[in-house]
Amino acid sequence: MSDKKKVIETKKIGRIFKNGEIEVHALTGVDLVIEEGEFVAIMGSSGSGKSTLLNILGCLDKPTSGEYYLDGVHVNSLDKNQLADIRNQKIGFIFQSYNLLSRTSALENVELPLVYDRTGRFSNPKEMAKKALEQVGLGHRIDHKTNELSGGQQQRVAIARALVNDPALILADEATGNLDSKTSIDIADLFVRLNNAGKTILMITHEPEIAQFAKRIVTFRDGRVLTDEIIENRSTKESALRDLEATAQ
Amino acid sequence: MRQLLKTFKVAFQAINKNRTRSLLTMLGIIIGVGAVIMTISAGEGATQQVQDQISGLGTNLLIIQVKEERRGGISVRKGKELTKKDYEILRDNSVWLEKVSPMIVSGGNAITSQGNKTTIIYGVSEDYFSIMSRDVDLGEAFSELDVQLAKQVCLVGKTIKDELFGGESPVGRTLRIDKVPFTVVGLLEEQGQVGMGGDQDDLVVAPYTTVQNRLAGSTNFNVFMASAVTEDKIDDAEVEVTDLLRESHKMLSNQEDDFEITTQVELNEITGEITGILTILLGAVASISLLVGGIGIMNIMLVSVTERTREIGTRLALGARESDILTQFLIEAITLSAAGGILGIAFGIIGNQIIYKATDFYIPTAGYAIAIGFGFAALIGVAFGYFPARKAARLNPIDALRYE
Repeated sequence: MSDKKKVIETKKIGRIFKNGEIEVHALTGVDLVIEEGEFVAIMGSSGSGKSTLLNILGCLDKPTSGEYYLDGVHVNSLDKNQLADIRNQKIGFIFQSYNLLSRTSALENVELPLVYDRTGRFSNPKEMAKKALEQVGLGHRIDHKTNELSGGQQQRVAIARALVNDPALILADEATGNLDSKTSIDIADLFVRLNNAGKTILMITHEPEIAQFAKRIVTFRDGRVLTDEIIENRSTKESALRDLEATAQ
Repeated sequence: MRQLLKTFKVAFQAINKNRTRSLLTMLGIIIGVGAVIMTISAGEGATQQVQDQISGLGTNLLIIQVKEERRGGISVRKGKELTKKDYEILRDNSVWLEKVSPMIVSGGNAITSQGNKTTIIYGVSEDYFSIMSRDVDLGEAFSELDVQLAKQVCLVGKTIKDELFGGESPVGRTLRIDKVPFTVVGLLEEQGQVGMGGDQDDLVVAPYTTVQNRLAGSTNFNVFMASAVTEDKIDDAEVEVTDLLRESHKMLSNQEDDFEITTQVELNEITGEITGILTILLGAVASISLLVGGIGIMNIMLVSVTERTREIGTRLALGARESDILTQFLIEAITLSAAGGILGIAFGIIGNQIIYKATDFYIPTAGYAIAIGFGFAALIGVAFGYFPARKAARLNPIDALRYE
C-alpha cells in the first residue's frame, strides 16, 4: 500500500485467557494495519475474537504476545494511567448500548471526554461539544436529556462524544445493534460522511448490510484473520434503503 | 489541580442528577446526627435542671444526719440520734452557722372533708423556710412562739391543696394528720417535679415540737438543716459543726464521727455524677443510631457503585484514570455526609426547640454534641465512602462496560 500514516499496526498479536487450567486462545497471530482515512468493518461470528481485538485496539486490554502500535505509540509498554490517557487522546468509543449518562443533557455527555483531558489542548469544551453535536445533526437538541431522545438520536450523541476530542481512531462496537434497520442505515451513512471528512473508523458488526458501507472488510474466525478484502460495491444510503424496501415487499 | 476542579464539578453533577438517591444517603446521617445532638442535649438539660433545683435550695446549705449504714438494703442507724441538746448547742454556740432547724420526718395520712392522702410531714423550726429558701404563697409561716407552744398549725404544698382542698385556698381550714387536727396557716410556693420524678409539693410542714409530741412519739431528730453565714464559709461551718457535735456526743479523739454532714457542694457533685452517667447512656444510644446511619451510607454507596458500574466503565473507556474515579466518589461521599451533617444539626436544634415548646423541658443545645455528631458523620462518610470508591475505581473497564 502507500506511505500514508499507520493509525493501527499490530504484529502477531495474540491473547490467551487463562481459566484455571484451561487456556483459551482468543486471538492468534493477528497482523493488521489500518491507515489514516480508512473505514474498516470487522465481521465474524460470536467467539471469533473480534471483541477481544476491539478491547486490545481500544487500549482497554493488552495482548499477551505480539506488538501493538497505535498512532505510532507502542501500547504494550504503557501503564494503567498512560493507557487511560491514550484512550482519552487517540480513541473515540461508540458502544452498542450508547453508554450515555442518564438524566444528563446531550451537551454534558459530549463534554465528558474533555473532562478527563490532561493535555489542556482544548480551551472551550462547551463550544467543541456543540460543534460535535452539529456534526452529527443534533445541533438543535443540545439541551435535551438523554432519556428524552430516541435510540438513533442517543447513538448520534454517543458518536458526537467519540468525535469531540478529535481522536486518531473511532472504534464502534456493534453501533447499530440496538437500532431498527432504517435508523441503522442512517448511522452507517453518518459513518461514511465522517470518513469522507477524514476520520479513520473501525467498526465491529455482525450485520453484512451495515458492513457493506465500509471500504474494507476483515473477517475473523477462531481468533485469526480469515479474509481481508476491499469492498468494490459499497452501499450508499439510497441503495441500502432501496434494498430494504425490496425485502419488505 | 485543574483536574481536581473538574472532578469536583463531575461529583456535584452526579449528586444533583440523582437527587432521590442522594437524599436517601443523607437521611441516615441526618437522623444520626440529629439524634446525637438531641440525646446529648437532653442529658445536659436534665443535669442543668437538677443542678438548678439543688442550688435553688440555697447554696450555703448544710445537712447534718445521723450516720447510717446500709446492710442488705436496710438502713441501720450507727451513731447516736440527734437530740434537742445538739440542736441548742448548734443554734447557740455556732459562729459560722446562720440558722439551724431540726427536722423530724414522719409519714402520715392527711385527711380533710374532701378526701385523704398519704403524705410526708416535716417537723421543723421557724427557721426552716429561710434555710431551704421556701417561700410561702398564701398565709404565712408559723412563728417561734408557735414552735415553743407546739401549736397544731401547718403549711401544705400545692399537691395537698389540689387534692385535699379542691384547689382552693387551704389557709384557715383544718387538716387532720391521722387523728391530730391541724389548722393550715399557709401554702408553700410550688417547687415542681424533681428531675427524677419526686413530687416536691406533696408535703405538710409543721412545728417540730408538735410533730414530736403528737405524731412521732420521739424526742429525737433525723436531720438538722442549717445554713452557713455565707457560701464561702461552708467549710468552716462544717468543721465547727463537727467539733460541736463531737463534744456534745462526748466522743474520744480516736472515734469516728457518728454523724454525717453533707454540703451543697457535695450534693452538686453527687447529682453531677448521676446525670453524667445519664448523659453517657444517652450518648451511647445516639452513637448507635449514628452507626446505623453510617452503615446505611455504606450500603447505599456500595449499591450506588454497583448500579453505576456501566457509568464507571464508560468513564474509564473515555480516559478517566483510577484516581479520577476514586476522587469523584470520595467527593460525593464527603459532600453527602457533610450536607447530611449540617441538616442533622438543624434537625437536632429544631427538635430540641419542639421538645421545649411541647413539654417546657428546656434543652440547651450542647456545642460539643454538635461537634461530636458532625465529626462522626464526616468520619463515617469518608470511611464508608472510601471503600466502595476504591472498588469502583479498580474495576476492569471491560467488565464494567459489559455490566448489565
